Amino acid sequence: MLVRSPDALGFIVEFLQSSTEYALIAKDLDGTILLWNEGARRFYGYEPGEILGKVRSDTLHTPEDTAAGLPVRMMTEALQCGKWEGLVTWVRRNGQRSVARTVLTPRLDAYRRHTGYLLISKDVTDERSAIQAEDKFRDLFEFAPDAIVVVNQEGQIVLVNSRVEKLFGYARAELLGEPAEMLVSEGFRHQHPPIGGGLDVVGFRKDGSEFPVEISLSPVDTEEGILVSISIRDVTERKRLERALKAKNLELENANRAKDRFLATMSHELRTPLNAILGFTGTLLMKLPGPLLPDQERHLRTVQASGKHLLSLINDLRDLARIESGTVELNPEPVDCRSVVEDLAAALRPSAEAKGIAFEAVVCPPDLVVRADRRTLSQILLNLTNNAIKFTERGSVSLRANQRREDRILTTEFIVSDTGAGIRTEDQAKLFQAFVRLDSGQKQRQEGSGLGLYLSRKLAELLGGRIALQSEYGKGSTFRLILDEAQS
Amino acid sequence: MSTRILIIEDNPTHLELMTYLLSAYGHSVGAAESGSRALDALNRERPDLILCDVQLPDIDGFGIARRLKSHPEFRSIPLVAVTALAMAGDCDRLIAAGFDGYLSKPIDPEKFVQQMELFLTNRCR
Repeated sequence: MLVRSPDALGFIVEFLQSSTEYALIAKDLDGTILLWNEGARRFYGYEPGEILGKVRSDTLHTPEDTAAGLPVRMMTEALQCGKWEGLVTWVRRNGQRSVARTVLTPRLDAYRRHTGYLLISKDVTDERSAIQAEDKFRDLFEFAPDAIVVVNQEGQIVLVNSRVEKLFGYARAELLGEPAEMLVSEGFRHQHPPIGGGLDVVGFRKDGSEFPVEISLSPVDTEEGILVSISIRDVTERKRLERALKAKNLELENANRAKDRFLATMSHELRTPLNAILGFTGTLLMKLPGPLLPDQERHLRTVQASGKHLLSLINDLRDLARIESGTVELNPEPVDCRSVVEDLAAALRPSAEAKGIAFEAVVCPPDLVVRADRRTLSQILLNLTNNAIKFTERGSVSLRANQRREDRILTTEFIVSDTGAGIRTEDQAKLFQAFVRLDSGQKQRQEGSGLGLYLSRKLAELLGGRIALQSEYGKGSTFRLILDEAQS
Repeated sequence: MSTRILIIEDNPTHLELMTYLLSAYGHSVGAAESGSRALDALNRERPDLILCDVQLPDIDGFGIARRLKSHPEFRSIPLVAVTALAMAGDCDRLIAAGFDGYLSKPIDPEKFVQQMELFLTNRCR
């Protein structure tokens, strides 16, 4: 036995035996375990009865360490130098691994003969993970995308990361202990952003150059008291993009204004000669200067029709440009449907009657009110009703309005029906596209821009509504403008 | 109903057209081809109605409206813009500038005289 004096040493043995913090293992030369204290039991998980005289200490090492010759190396060094000391990963009974600071010393008898080893281990797994976590945080700090400067209560720099060195051109040693304000341009040195908030300032490099930065402050509670962490972001690129964007916006605004001016000028310049063409054709056809020969009248009617066609193109293109620019201002208000329909009827009835077709306008009930932009609503109905009259040779055209309520949805319908040419099923889908004109089967080709229904559809969409079509070729068509309102 | 109508218009063809139509229906028409001449004409003889183009050589339609509508004697004469300015908002801007009415070019010769007489009857009412 190692211990000779039973009194004093017995106490030490007992103390070591019951120590829980240190795992104590004594083994003989071939590795058989002779002593296994309470600390060893807790650390490795084996009961003394399972291990004493039975298990060789090699099995406590990881297979990798054994394969790498660590146990042999430890023993050789312990013999040569008196002890081996280092971190060792041990395998517990349940297979879990733990790291311990371990000391291995040779056991010698009274004649200094080598009889075995004493192995003392202290579990440092928790300490190590704390160290590793600290290392990780240090990496996070060091390689953060923002430059970070930590200052103490006096405003002196106590910590910087590598981005600070790169961004400002200082070496770390040149910054530590210096006031943090050396990193901002003079005019900004007394501005402090609120904690947690951001501030745009101008950064000041070692070489005297300046660059825009955004800084934000956050408090850090440490063992040394409250420190302030300052994140500094180089916003040169962001500022450059903002300027570029602003310039681009201005350019677009100018281009848009130029386009509007161009459209206004074109419209004005086209209308000016048309005023003379349509005006004097009109005075001749009104026979104000005197009677006309039939051929003269026919030719003048052609001039007039072409002039009117040109005018409708100008008007429709102007309206289309306005709708597509997205600048149409709508003024939704409760609209008295009867007044809208009656105004339209008054304007259009003469042209229907001139062709010998009946025209009917019915609003039911008469006090119908719809929430819409009155001007847009009138324009759609004017387009639809005008078309109906244009493409009807005999029979009638009607404009009706009605309303129904269903599941809190109030639906107002304006229905324009005619007994005219009708539209082939295969043509119906094309009808609402721009510049589409169908063969109406009429002897006289109808004048029109081909934009009327396209515009009407766009305007209906602006009102939040839609236009539906039912038609039978040769029998007539029905266009419905459908406006839905959600009711509370 | 014969009335005196002053047309302020720098385009001779347009002036001739409107003069021809209004005269054919018995109105007596005076003309001025610029804003300043219109002001001279107004001081010589007071018309019952003024038709006014907007793009004019010296004082434009807006300037004329401002002057006439702040003039104690002329402010009550109906002032109608007859113009090829026909973009969205043009009509609203002209009415806001003081015009009593707006008609876009090209005019409809069959309706033109009737449309203008509306401003005369409105005034008489």
